[in-house]
Amino acid sequence: MAEDLLFIEPDEDLSAALSVYIRRQQFDVRTACVADAAEKSLSKQIPDIVLANPSLPDDDGTRLLLEFKSKHAEIPLILLTDPGNLESAMEAFGPKADDYLQKPVKSIALDISLQHARQHLRLARKFSRYARQLEDLHEANTLYHQLFDEVPCYISVQDRQFRLTATNRLFKRDFGNEVGDFCYKIYKHRDTPCPECPVAKTFADGKRHQAEEVVTSRYGRQYNVMTWTAPLMDEHGEISQVMEMATNITQVRRLQDHLTSLGLMLGSMSHGVKGMMTALDGGVYQLETGIRNGDSERIQNSYERIADTSSRIRKMVLDILYYAKSRGMQYQTTDAARLAKSLADAASEMAGKQGVAFHNEIDPDTGEFEVDPDWFYQAVLNFLENAVDACVMDPQKPQHRIDFTVVPEDAETVRLEIADNGIGMDEESRRKMFTLFFSSKGSKGTGLGMYIANHIIAQHGGAIEVDSVYGQGTRVKIRVPRNRTAAARAVDSLLSPHTDSEDGKKDSN
Amino acid sequence: MSKKIMVIDDDPAVVEYLTTLFQDNGYETCSAKDALEGIDVARQEKPDLITLDLEMPGEWGPRFYRKLTEDPALKNIPVVVISGLSGHQYAINKAVASISKPFDRDELLQVVKENIL
Repeated sequence: MAEDLLFIEPDEDLSAALSVYIRRQQFDVRTACVADAAEKSLSKQIPDIVLANPSLPDDDGTRLLLEFKSKHAEIPLILLTDPGNLESAMEAFGPKADDYLQKPVKSIALDISLQHARQHLRLARKFSRYARQLEDLHEANTLYHQLFDEVPCYISVQDRQFRLTATNRLFKRDFGNEVGDFCYKIYKHRDTPCPECPVAKTFADGKRHQAEEVVTSRYGRQYNVMTWTAPLMDEHGEISQVMEMATNITQVRRLQDHLTSLGLMLGSMSHGVKGMMTALDGGVYQLETGIRNGDSERIQNSYERIADTSSRIRKMVLDILYYAKSRGMQYQTTDAARLAKSLADAASEMAGKQGVAFHNEIDPDTGEFEVDPDWFYQAVLNFLENAVDACVMDPQKPQHRIDFTVVPEDAETVRLEIADNGIGMDEESRRKMFTLFFSSKGSKGTGLGMYIANHIIAQHGGAIEVDSVYGQGTRVKIRVPRNRTAAARAVDSLLSPHTDSEDGKKDSN
Repeated sequence: MSKKIMVIDDDPAVVEYLTTLFQDNGYETCSAKDALEGIDVARQEKPDLITLDLEMPGEWGPRFYRKLTEDPALKNIPVVVISGLSGHQYAINKAVASISKPFDRDELLQVVKENIL
């Protein structure tokens, strides 16, 4: 590319002659012979090089050139002075001019000077390009660093020994600032590399790999993470390190578990709900026809049917709510005998309606224990209800009875016992009785009651023992510590109704 | 003589609903709360049609149906399945009809009218 050179020279003949010469050296030349024209030329387009005689006829060329230089220091200025003016020019311009020539100018001196200017110009351009690139690079670097730190994932860079060479902020927050330590030690608290390590695979084949892992933070919390790995190459194109990016998906997994069991519950529940809706339809039908025919007996009957069905629906909804929403236990020191008395009253009424005899033996000196009265009441009531149902379902015996006993087992434990001579359970039903969604009650059961009851007793640190013989009856013993142990408190924090679907499958013996 | 319908369901509320509905429409009724009792009642009462729930404690509906068809005196009685289980229409494929709980009264009465012996 030819450089644009502005040649300012009052001597027009010299100007014309030199212009031809300079064009031959591959410059585009514009000329000006008065200050006015020079100024216009300069403002019209900034030249790449200025070759000028400061002694101009119409104005002070020195001032014009110095002004220009002060704005465009990077543009080379070569002064071509009239004979005898060199020294004064040097005094006026000093180092601000890049080169000085004096008329008559020799072509070799002009050549060298122009070449210098050209070199200077190219270097300056290169320099400013580099400077710009350096600035961009710095900006990008800052940006990438910010990204690295702010990405909502754990990012680590590892060498072939799985040693961490860089980690981002989130990683440091949850796993500590442990650059130099081993990945398997930090993530999994192991002493040896993990089997099936995606980082090792990426080192081996240079491809990206993916794995789902469970890692433990420096505070001992477990996280489900989805990890992706990618190779990092050195300047020879060899894999020098591997980057591992892990997304915390603990929340997603937890939700998934919850949704799975909710789906399972809705499936099992819909059958029960349909049965209850049919029963409710029946009540409404009786009410409708009873009113139409003025049959007061039928109206009375329909009322009982509707009331009964609505209480069944209420119970089911409450069970679902318990399961769907976790409510923390609110423990209170409670008088066991008083709680047992209100349970006995409720059970006695239920049993009476079904023609089942209800006996209770509550030791008034049973003492206090630490329970959540609402939930504990509900849990024991579930067992009492089951006892009544077991009696109703038994076709064999003419008389049915339930015995409810509450006594102090020892200084540390309260024992509640519920015995019935109902239908009893076979071995399989007994083993499955606390399983989520297991029910032996056909359309009347939701499979939640015993699961929840067992869950609540377990949260109280209690134990349930069940003896049952099919056709003979069932005896349930519930032992509850008066004071919850540290262990129970610890279990408490781990067990929430959302996450422990395994819990219900425990065998009670 | 009016026709007799036997209702088998473990939920007494549903039994009461169905028997009342059938009686109001001029049928005689009898009922059983499970499959075991159902066979005895069927032998005794010789119903002209049976409505059968599928999920009950003890033996389920399909097994009752097999027992029913093994008895030459009972095997020709039409059976209408009334159940809240999804997919109930496949449970007993020889049933004359399958109705979902909760059901439409007129639809049920129509099915009964068309199929009763």
